Amino acid sequence: MMNRINSAWLKELFNNSGDVIVRPIKINQNGITVHLFCVDGLINQSLFDEAVFRSLKFDPYLSGCMTERAMMDYLLEGGTYHVFTKEEADYQLLLKYVLSGMVALIFDTEEKAIVYDIRMFEKRSIQEPSEENVMKGSKESFIEVMRMNTALIRRRIRSEHLVVETLSAGRISKTDIALIYINGIADSATVNKIRTIINEIDIDNISTPAFIEEFLVENKHSIFPQIMYTQRPDRVAANLSDGRVALVVDGIPFAYLLPCQLPMLMQSPDDYANHFFIGSSLRIIRYMSMIVTLFLPAFYIAATTYQVQMLPVQLALSTQAAKQNVPFSSASEVLGLLISFEILIEAGLRLPKAVGTAMSILGGLVVGQSAVAANLISPAVVVIVALAGISGFIMPNQDLSSGIRLSRFLLTVLAAVAGFFGLAIGLIILITHLCSLNNYGIAYISPFVDVEERNIRDTIFRFPIKYFQKRKSMQSERRDRL
Amino acid sequence: MKKLIILLFPILICGCSHDMNRREIDEINLVHVIGIDFSDGEYVITALYSGEKGADTEKGSAGQEVTSKGSGATPYAAFQNFRLKDKKTVSIANTGFFLLGEGAAKRGLDICIDFLSRDETVKMESLLFVTKDMDASEFIAQSLEKGQIIHEDMKAVEQKQEELVTRNDNTLVNVLNELENDITIGIIPYLVAEEGSFLLQGYAVFENNILADYLDMETSSGVNFIKDIIRAYPIYLDDNVGLSISYSKSHIKSEIQDNSIRIVIKLDFETMIKEINIREDIFTFEELNRLTDMQNDYIIEIMKKATDYSKNTGRDILQIARLIQNQHTRKWSEYEDNWKDKISEIEYEFNVNSQITKSFILN
Repeated sequence: MMNRINSAWLKELFNNSGDVIVRPIKINQNGITVHLFCVDGLINQSLFDEAVFRSLKFDPYLSGCMTERAMMDYLLEGGTYHVFTKEEADYQLLLKYVLSGMVALIFDTEEKAIVYDIRMFEKRSIQEPSEENVMKGSKESFIEVMRMNTALIRRRIRSEHLVVETLSAGRISKTDIALIYINGIADSATVNKIRTIINEIDIDNISTPAFIEEFLVENKHSIFPQIMYTQRPDRVAANLSDGRVALVVDGIPFAYLLPCQLPMLMQSPDDYANHFFIGSSLRIIRYMSMIVTLFLPAFYIAATTYQVQMLPVQLALSTQAAKQNVPFSSASEVLGLLISFEILIEAGLRLPKAVGTAMSILGGLVVGQSAVAANLISPAVVVIVALAGISGFIMPNQDLSSGIRLSRFLLTVLAAVAGFFGLAIGLIILITHLCSLNNYGIAYISPFVDVEERNIRDTIFRFPIKYFQKRKSMQSERRDRL
Repeated sequence: MKKLIILLFPILICGCSHDMNRREIDEINLVHVIGIDFSDGEYVITALYSGEKGADTEKGSAGQEVTSKGSGATPYAAFQNFRLKDKKTVSIANTGFFLLGEGAAKRGLDICIDFLSRDETVKMESLLFVTKDMDASEFIAQSLEKGQIIHEDMKAVEQKQEELVTRNDNTLVNVLNELENDITIGIIPYLVAEEGSFLLQGYAVFENNILADYLDMETSSGVNFIKDIIRAYPIYLDDNVGLSISYSKSHIKSEIQDNSIRIVIKLDFETMIKEINIREDIFTFEELNRLTDMQNDYIIEIMKKATDYSKNTGRDILQIARLIQNQHTRKWSEYEDNWKDKISEIEYEFNVNSQITKSFILN
């Protein structure tokens, strides 16, 4: 009986599950009994009563259907008032459909079922993106329901070339994943590769984004993000038009974009919402902030401990004055404060909002001020670490921000050990590592390493839109816009 | 292998850092100004740095300045003696000014700054000055007695210098380059202490790297005009009209005919009227032409002072030798041995053009 569509078997299978309903419905008109199979709480009960149950009980034409087969044919041909109706003979698929919220009518003799998609469950309404908010532009963001998210994308790309493939991953969770791309623009090799990776995912459950990210990322040891996530449907639509591939996972309120390069992570939707001069200026500030957050603490240590000549006279004197009577070395001060900064951030994330504000004041202002007053740290170090910390959060992508913060520690330690020599070594390692990263056949730091001029029009500077007549050659099969 | 390299890397870095002069900034005495003197048969180094309390960040100044001295048979020995005596590690990495006492300058510029040129931390943009008629240590001591913050006053001198000329030729790197060229005469600005501040009056002339003379202010300005480094210069005509040069460009050309050298100095400059103390209208075509001629004569006089000094003393302060060397390479070999005698025979021709551009009358 196993793996066959049968109500008795299903009853036995879900015997201990109170939310799964396997209930007989006797059709008065012809005396045939079918079984309702659904999950309580996932279906739209009133719609079921109205569209399906009413027909089953009161449709006079059913009296003419003397076999289950005849009855199924009638129901599929419009006997019930619901559009999304289909016959299912595959036991595994039936389980998947019902457990994801569909309703099935089981026909034991035929060993088949008719499935109605009348899902309805509690979901969040579409809200403003919390991380990628813009002044000018769309205020919609993804929610946890995959189909709603794909609809948001489809609403922006009304093209017959847009493909939304539904895949599934997770042995137990059977999580739906939508593989979205534009046929003829996206690189088919990349699409095939991503499809293969998803199909080969062999884990029980996809509960957090990191689960799927680790499978999709090609260089798993790198701390730099190689997959981009976004909360914004308009951003996904723009990247799909550029030839990238999007993934929408059920239960995760954002979409993944592949292949991903470093300049992408430095871009913000605001860049395109503003005049190109303003957009470019914002980007330059972001790149400068990246340099500040990466190198400032390390530079301070190297300059105050090894190569004092790197500091201008007045700065050297004021730094020297600020450092007087502080018992710790510059390296200990900076590293200690950087770690404290990370602790504050981590604590801020975990604490309730009401306590969080008080903690920020206590941790940042009171402790910082007291530490300076007690000569435990010099004011210069507080400024350096604060500046580096704030600059780190200017990155539009939090994964990139985390990667840079971790790299900052490495550079700081190297500067503490060997001054500017160590800093130079760290920089070489960092650049070598970034250059070695390859993401679905595209260099991670492209288009900085690209020879094609048109590819760099949307990197540090955001050129006017008229220069984007042709799409970048890296991730697209078609150069000309469709 | 990869893991081995990763493991060895920190050890390698630590090994490299073994001798990297690791020293916290507060454990170092950052010397602002160094004075080099020769007195009582030995060299004396006077270093000026911030006192124990360091820089006064609230006042934005270098705080209380203290001096420390060292002496020895050579400038380097004196410097080492000073380093040994000082309580903290001494760094001249941030030293912006070197003062050369008259005594030390008369012993030889090259001897005094040789040890600086071999120090890897010294700033090559540091400025070198001569203290006129006194030792650098005395110059520093007197200024400290008057309550001056020498480091800041020297910074002010540097700013004044930058207001007047387009480049500072008295940087350590320039002076060291000049030392390598033994055919020209070195000139370094000299300072005098007056009423609680330092004045930059002109150039000290070094012959064979030994202090030979001091040029007055106008002769020094003449040198600057000919060297084409003037940024601004005031002109006072008959005590009635004051002008200021806003643009100046000079070009020197050499001609050799019948073994005699002729130098043509072409100078174009523009001035702005800064002061008028007469009631007559000077903004007429004729009057402005007259003023232009007068200012041309004024500048020619200044340049003549420099050329006359060169001819009279046989000191090539205008670096004509380098010009001849570049423009008449073959002839130069003939002049090279008796260049000093040849200087007095040089004929100078001045071709000066100017115009008065703006009056800046508010009404």
